Amino acid sequence: MVCNSLQKYYNETMIAKTTHINDTKNLVGSLPAVRYTEPQYLYIAMANARCPNAELFIKEGDHVNSCQVIGMRHAAFFDQPIHATCSGTFVGLEKHYHRNGKLTDFIKIENDFKDTLDPSVKQRTPEEIAALTKDDMTEIIKNCALVGLGGSSFPTYIKFQTNKPIDIILINGIECEPYITADHRLMLEFPRRVIDGIKYAMQAFKCNKAKICIKSKYKDIKQVYEQVLKEYENSGIEICCVKNYYPQGWEVAMIKEATGIQLKPGELPSNRGIMNFNVSTMVGLYKAIKYNMPVIKRFITITGDGIKNPMNFRVRVGTSVRDLLSQYCGGYINPDKDKVFIIGGPMMGNSVPSDDIIITKTVTSIIILDKEDYVEQPCVRCGSCVLSCPVHLEPVQIMNAVKSLDKERIKMLNPLRCIECGLCAYSCTSKIHVTDYIRRAKVFAKL
Amino acid sequence: MAIFKQNAPHLRRNASVTRMMVDVLVALAPTLIFSFIIYPIKTLIFYLISVVIMEAAEFIYVGLKGIMPNDGQKHSFKERFNYAYKGKYNQNNILTAAITAIIYTLIMPAGAPIYAVIIGALVGIVLGKLVFGGLGSNIFNPAAVGMLFAKVCFGSQYAKNVPTWYYTVADVTTAPTALSNSAGTLNGLIENFNNANFLDMFIGRMYGTLGEVYTVTILVGAIYLLIRRSADFRVMLPYLGAFALFSLVAGLGFYAVDGTTNPGAFTLFSLLSGGVMFGGVFMLTDPVTSPINSPSRIIYALVAAVSTVFIRLFTAYPEGVGFSILIANMVAVVLDHYEWSSPRYTWKKFLTMGLLIIIPAAIIFLVIKFGGVYHA
Ligand code: SF4
Ligand code: SF4
Repeated sequence: MVCNSLQKYYNETMIAKTTHINDTKNLVGSLPAVRYTEPQYLYIAMANARCPNAELFIKEGDHVNSCQVIGMRHAAFFDQPIHATCSGTFVGLEKHYHRNGKLTDFIKIENDFKDTLDPSVKQRTPEEIAALTKDDMTEIIKNCALVGLGGSSFPTYIKFQTNKPIDIILINGIECEPYITADHRLMLEFPRRVIDGIKYAMQAFKCNKAKICIKSKYKDIKQVYEQVLKEYENSGIEICCVKNYYPQGWEVAMIKEATGIQLKPGELPSNRGIMNFNVSTMVGLYKAIKYNMPVIKRFITITGDGIKNPMNFRVRVGTSVRDLLSQYCGGYINPDKDKVFIIGGPMMGNSVPSDDIIITKTVTSIIILDKEDYVEQPCVRCGSCVLSCPVHLEPVQIMNAVKSLDKERIKMLNPLRCIECGLCAYSCTSKIHVTDYIRRAKVFAKL
Repeated sequence: MAIFKQNAPHLRRNASVTRMMVDVLVALAPTLIFSFIIYPIKTLIFYLISVVIMEAAEFIYVGLKGIMPNDGQKHSFKERFNYAYKGKYNQNNILTAAITAIIYTLIMPAGAPIYAVIIGALVGIVLGKLVFGGLGSNIFNPAAVGMLFAKVCFGSQYAKNVPTWYYTVADVTTAPTALSNSAGTLNGLIENFNNANFLDMFIGRMYGTLGEVYTVTILVGAIYLLIRRSADFRVMLPYLGAFALFSLVAGLGFYAVDGTTNPGAFTLFSLLSGGVMFGGVFMLTDPVTSPINSPSRIIYALVAAVSTVFIRLFTAYPEGVGFSILIANMVAVVLDHYEWSSPRYTWKKFLTMGLLIIIPAAIIFLVIKFGGVYHA
């Protein structure tokens, strides 16, 4: 307790390395997720940021089954099937806001509340599963369109295609961004699914060690897993508590903390025999292997200072945020104040100009904040941004280089190494949006 | 209610430039009050002069920067005023000028004539700060610039030996600081040292400028700044530490020559005399004129310490803090050059730091022992 308040004090002092972000997580983290929210309509995205083109296999008025393949997204080097997430009737296309902040076409399906499953969904017996090789699993998750559910939306099957020997699998349950508690709830509520998923991954990579990384302040998760892991003898899975820093969920920081290995900038973890997944991806893997089922439900957090009742949910992919807000969250706290809608965490998430947001597979949270106008002061070169940057850049120097449009200087300062954690703007004593300058520097550096 | 789009990150830390400046003001307050008690009239006059000049300069500067471009239409004075000042002149402009004024007041000797104070204040704020672009853009410490300008131009007209009730050690020296010595030799320095009373030095009962002599209040301010972290300890502590080390080496040199000087006591004497504490706590740590990353800040502090000691021991100037701050400010610009500036500690930087300590220490010892500058 004393330690915490000291830490907090330290972070708010002037010339200091920022490692913590004030949040309200404790409030929502202990709320059980609201389930069985069955909306009237569900919306499935056509294209997304990684797959710019998509084609549709169904016509208006067609009946679809839950988990049925209703279309295909095309990207430069892979295709991704689109699955229906409930059973019902295809009504047509509608434009809504996608996670990436753009207006996108969504497939609108009227829910018939029967949840008839597609015939492709079938339960595999333990023997069948034990016989699966990595290539079989790669094929299964490719057909189930499993992607990194922590927000990266990187296709998981590509990670499975590596030929490098894997010694250890790290499961990222850190959720280092403030406010988000979706993974926290998932880990508490479905520990066996998480562990089964990890076991399948270990089977695929023929590795016998896995670590579930969580923040050391989450004693509740630790207790649950220590108990549940007793049921799995000699599983090789352990729980690993990492420090409560931001950005501890960044893979380089997590790997350093869990294994002691320091990756070089740009190096893939698999080069060092490490494979890392998000916890929710593991549950997706469990569903795909065990039931041959795509991700049709996920945990999300709707929270922020702007709404009355912050909540955790387990909803069908395709639910509209507007419905959830009005039905469960009790509306806004100060309805006349301007709001910001953030998809993802408040440090790295995108903001969207409307509340008309659809929950896709990779949305972890919706954060609604009262808009605050920060007045930028001149930079006093305090150095907090330099101290805080986890990749040891000098944000203020990059900012000055961008202001003077000096391309050579920008390149020398390596802005491409920036992970856009947002700490430089967060910690700036002058309230300058330093991260924005870094983004511009990246554009320059790529020229 | 409207929903806005903005770029991540969406949160900001609870810290501001204003708070940093208020912290510095609070840290300066004890020294200012002490100085006011000892020298009520001088402190008040000097402070009023410099604060009026500096606030006015800052105000006019913001106005000049915001002159409306000629768009062929007539604008009322109010419109022009709003154009120049709205959103551009705020509490920070007032605070920064006030801090500069306080520091400037406290480093002026009580014997300085009024016109020297006025000219120094003007030069300090205009040439030391505003020509570079105001808050955040200056490379030199404006207070040091003003003080040194006044001293170099009008130093010979400074009154010596300004009397107050506080002084009882009147026979130490006839010059403004405990460091000055009639002949400008190290023998004079050691003579001062032998006559010094440490308790008196600690509470400021000695000759010096208006504020820099009150070590006790400066220490209070330093502790406050370090707790609030409004000054970087990476500047303050290496500076004072390296300075103490060099003084110790010098003391050892004196001991090697005469066999009586106590090196430890000499170190304490050096720390307590002159503007080392004040400069190291309030002036060198100004983030605007420090380098941006931590290793560079340590190197910067070491450079300042080396130059302070060298100016003190081996030049005709008895006191080197002002000059060494300006020298370090120049080095800061070099340290921040993009080709080598990086927040990582590398062996090259450690080597630089090591050399910055070892070479000057060796020079100091050897020159004092064998250089014939000090005679037993
Ligand atoms: S956003 Fe980039 S530059 Fe800023 S602190 Fe994070 S990694 Fe460093
Ligand atoms: S950009 Fe902000 S945090 Fe960085 S040195 Fe300047 S004032 Fe400090």
